[in-house]
Amino acid sequence: MNLKIRLPQWISHYATPSLLVLVLLVLTILADVVNSTLIERIVTVMFTSLILVLGLQLFMGNSGILSFAHIGFMGIGAYASVLFSMTPEAKLLSIPSLYPFLVPLHLPFWPSVLLGGLIAAVIAAVVSFPLMRLSDAAAVITTFALLVIIHVVLVHWDKITNGPRTLFGVENFTHLWISAIVGMITVFLAFFFKESRVGLRLRATRDDAYAAASIGINIVVMRWLAFTMSAFLAGIGGGLWAHFITSFSPYAFYLTETFVILAMLVIGGPSSVSGAVVGTLVVTAAREGLRGIENYINIAQVLPQGVFGFTEVVLSIVLILILIYRPYGIMGSQELSWSQFRRRKKAPNEFSLSSEGVKDV
Amino acid sequence: MINLEFIINVLSLGSLYAMLALGLVIVYGILRLVNFAYGELIMIGGYTMYLLAGFSPLPWLLIALLAVIASMSTSLFTELVAFRPVREKSLTAMLITSFAVSTLLQNAALLIISPRARAVTLPKLFSASVAIAGVNIPWRNILTIVTSLVMLVLLTLLLRRTTLGIALRAAADNFRMTRMLGVPANTVISAAFAISGVMAGMVSLFWIGRSASVTPTIGLPPLLVAFVATVIGGMRSLTGAVVGGYVYAILISLLGVLLPQSLLDFREAFMFGIVIVILLFRPEGLIRSKTSVERIG
Amino acid sequence: MLVLKDIHARYGAITALRGVSIEVQEGELVALLGVNGAGKSTLLATIAGVMHPWQGSIHLHGKSIVGKTPEQITRLGIALVPEGRDIFPSLTVEENLRLGAYTRKDRSEYQRDLQEVFSLFPVLGERRPQLGGTLSGGEQQQLAIARALMSHPKLLMLDEPSLGLAPALVDQIFDLIARLNQSGITILLVEQNVGRSLEIVNRAYLLNTGLIEMAGTPAQLRTQADIEGIYMGDKPRNLS
Repeated sequence: MNLKIRLPQWISHYATPSLLVLVLLVLTILADVVNSTLIERIVTVMFTSLILVLGLQLFMGNSGILSFAHIGFMGIGAYASVLFSMTPEAKLLSIPSLYPFLVPLHLPFWPSVLLGGLIAAVIAAVVSFPLMRLSDAAAVITTFALLVIIHVVLVHWDKITNGPRTLFGVENFTHLWISAIVGMITVFLAFFFKESRVGLRLRATRDDAYAAASIGINIVVMRWLAFTMSAFLAGIGGGLWAHFITSFSPYAFYLTETFVILAMLVIGGPSSVSGAVVGTLVVTAAREGLRGIENYINIAQVLPQGVFGFTEVVLSIVLILILIYRPYGIMGSQELSWSQFRRRKKAPNEFSLSSEGVKDV
Repeated sequence: MINLEFIINVLSLGSLYAMLALGLVIVYGILRLVNFAYGELIMIGGYTMYLLAGFSPLPWLLIALLAVIASMSTSLFTELVAFRPVREKSLTAMLITSFAVSTLLQNAALLIISPRARAVTLPKLFSASVAIAGVNIPWRNILTIVTSLVMLVLLTLLLRRTTLGIALRAAADNFRMTRMLGVPANTVISAAFAISGVMAGMVSLFWIGRSASVTPTIGLPPLLVAFVATVIGGMRSLTGAVVGGYVYAILISLLGVLLPQSLLDFREAFMFGIVIVILLFRPEGLIRSKTSVERIG
Repeated sequence: MLVLKDIHARYGAITALRGVSIEVQEGELVALLGVNGAGKSTLLATIAGVMHPWQGSIHLHGKSIVGKTPEQITRLGIALVPEGRDIFPSLTVEENLRLGAYTRKDRSEYQRDLQEVFSLFPVLGERRPQLGGTLSGGEQQQLAIARALMSHPKLLMLDEPSLGLAPALVDQIFDLIARLNQSGITILLVEQNVGRSLEIVNRAYLLNTGLIEMAGTPAQLRTQADIEGIYMGDKPRNLS
């Protein structure tokens, strides 16, 4: 007998993000209860990563375009928020050549982080608008170019970032629950974006650009809105992370971090918010596990030389395997929902029938 | 400032960058794939040189040959194992795969050898100079120019005289039609990856030849150069890649001379800004070609 | 020689062919007619291996070819001249032809084949060293057909060869197709130009939104319905 309970529309509408947030809530409570600074650290950083992954999902999952620039905006958000939240004295100590007009600026934590996100969003808005009309392949290349440009600017603009050197003296405002709550809010934001008018239209363009254009969807504007929103989230994530780690350099916002966030999204499943969450959880757990093994081997001096890079090697192999065997990630293209617990649905096969996978640019 | 030494430097740099760009474009032209792991092929060449020069008595010419073979083999291997299975799926999947392969190779080198830079023993010729017209020209630069000319000639012969070469050019025009004439897709793509690997190998000889050391991250700067040079040249033509390489070398050298010290560090950002501008307004690069980039907005 | 049974094919969510069955005997000249979007190109693509049907069978000389790659199907003797010709613009005329001969095992035949092709298409002989992209539309069409002939196909499939050509050229192309068939090549012709097609073919199928609506000899088709009228939009459709 198959009992089907008809839930009212609004419950099923909120079901997915609620389910996800429930899981995250439980996780946070556990982390809080367990008396371990290590676990607390891991979970706090996990939530900042989650915000970044969700931001990337918001753009990539809905528009179908791979954006390499995402972490660049994390960096912008991080540096911007820090410039506001640090006291003038701390700023003068950390960034000796800081522009004088920036020194006296001082805001509390939350406005700083928000401002960081906004600045990232504004820069994204200004810079990305002309890029949104490019075809997929060209768009990807330009986002990569953006990442490099942002990186070079962060590394060399001494007067703002202290150059390639580490920036010290950030106050540790970000605690477990702060990171967790913002993370959980972001889950809702990402989900509502996906189901919003902009999100729906954007996904229409992902599936068939010409058809979408023919019914009046302005592809450029839709993409631009998503890109700006995702940059905002990246900036927020960067700001929170900066106030957790308390010291960082521009190299934290380049290809290594891009790889990790991308891996989290793709392994979890880029088409869905659930994928972003699942991916972040799984990859964080895997990385910490592998890192633990690495440390053990290094400390126990089992091998003559230190073991470094093992985690990344495993992670990249897993990513390649996922792309080959389960390209829609762990979640397929599905969102998490109550029905999943009753029966397992196969992810729809959206591959074209032809043996050609590549469209001409 | 702009004297014979400068000109030879620029020519040598341009030759290097031309080979670099060729290796990237040959795969892009057929698959539309920017192979992020391309830089790591250079790294592999470098580590081969490090291992063989440091731990074996082989003569340098043989080491160089083995380094090129190592790059080529790695390229073919990654194509077979990582790229071929995702080829049918989507361009995005291939791009992410190439990024993953790049990370994998980098960290494998880190893991297996060391995160630290390793010095590579180079033949004495690489640090020697010869006096021409009263100026000291490093042998290295002359070698680079000569080698790249030889490689260009060989590649041109391959592409114009052999059936495989014609098939490669056809595949860059229209991959699907090439298959419909009976040319196996795998053959064409493997050939492209092999050529890409050979180019990377040759570049590694001279790239490492300048710095005399190798690190796991040594592949990134040349990848970025190849990137920019390719876009300048129009991404779809091999001639364009060569031109792009020289133009990039000229631009970056001129900027090095003309820019004030404070802006010098931003050269790279500037070059990538050019990339964006070109892709926006003239995606076919500086070389006129018949095809155009798809736009939606 | 070529038998398709109950072919269903899809582009993503759009079903292009909904159960198509056709037959081509050796030596025949068969036309596949239909308006834009009827599924004609899809059918050719499916035969050529570029698309895979999710239902149905295709047999060449009694052996199934469903699921084979385009390269394999070409080696079996099927050559496709696609809509839009798809000649290689950055290759010379001769290089285009040389690639057409890729599947020929006997390399010594190459020069002889080349001369044969140049005698059929003298204009190509004149333009031998020129880049494919510099040829006119009509010349490109000839090049595409010549290139297909270089592989000595058993079955030649032509997708709208007269599309976009001036009327005088259209006549030339249809004459050529008829002559090629007379010299022994089996031809499957996809066309929108109903009138000229019916003049030269043995049989024809009318494809409409993924299904075969009518089939028969030109005479049969003409009596069954005012086929040309349907295309011109003159008369309402009346098929039963």
